[in-house]
Amino acid sequence: MAPKVGIVLVSHSAALARGAAELAGQVSGSGVTIGTAGGTEDGRIGTSIDKVQRALALADGGAGVVILPDLGSSVLTVRALLADSDDLPAHVVMADAPFVEGAVAAAVAAAGGGDVQAVLEAAQEARHARKL
Amino acid sequence: MPGNCEATIVLAGDLHARPAGALSVAAAKFASAVLLLAGGKQANARSVLAVMQLGASNGQEVTVRATGPDAREAVDAMIGILAEATRAGD
Repeated sequence: MAPKVGIVLVSHSAALARGAAELAGQVSGSGVTIGTAGGTEDGRIGTSIDKVQRALALADGGAGVVILPDLGSSVLTVRALLADSDDLPAHVVMADAPFVEGAVAAAVAAAGGGDVQAVLEAAQEARHARKL
Repeated sequence: MPGNCEATIVLAGDLHARPAGALSVAAAKFASAVLLLAGGKQANARSVLAVMQLGASNGQEVTVRATGPDAREAVDAMIGILAEATRAGD
């Protein structure tokens, strides 16, 4: 079976990243690797470029990775990694999407066999999803 | 020439997040375009958020409408998931 696009969730909170990954994993079924990079190396609220890099390596199955940041400096951390690192998997992109809805939509699109562009678009379409 | 196929099911439970995901993952495997219609709303079956937004609930009719080369197979798959998932009640 062709490798699926991986997902990386970057949050200021390790618990939030893990929880969103658990939810997205349940909704999408098995078969999609969702890496998480939550909090700082010493477990505080914040972001860690090294954690993002490790999550990327975990999520990369050869088909590319879509990264979803939660807020503010998560975006800056991912941007810094994408700009500076020369040791990235191929086809890594950051989605401009709401964290929970985007994670669920991206994971489902990846589980359905979508490529990086399709998974990115699924995540970003979540901006328009209304709850009520 | 693309085919059309449509079927309707009465849900035996609410359409929760996991079956919505299963519908979208399955819909992506077909070449046909697949629409779900419920309560006057419609959703592209490939969009899990749109499917959840239908808010389809126990006792409600859901119509699956597919257009494309594998429309019948797509409708059969969707109806199967809807029947199974809402009966299991998760």
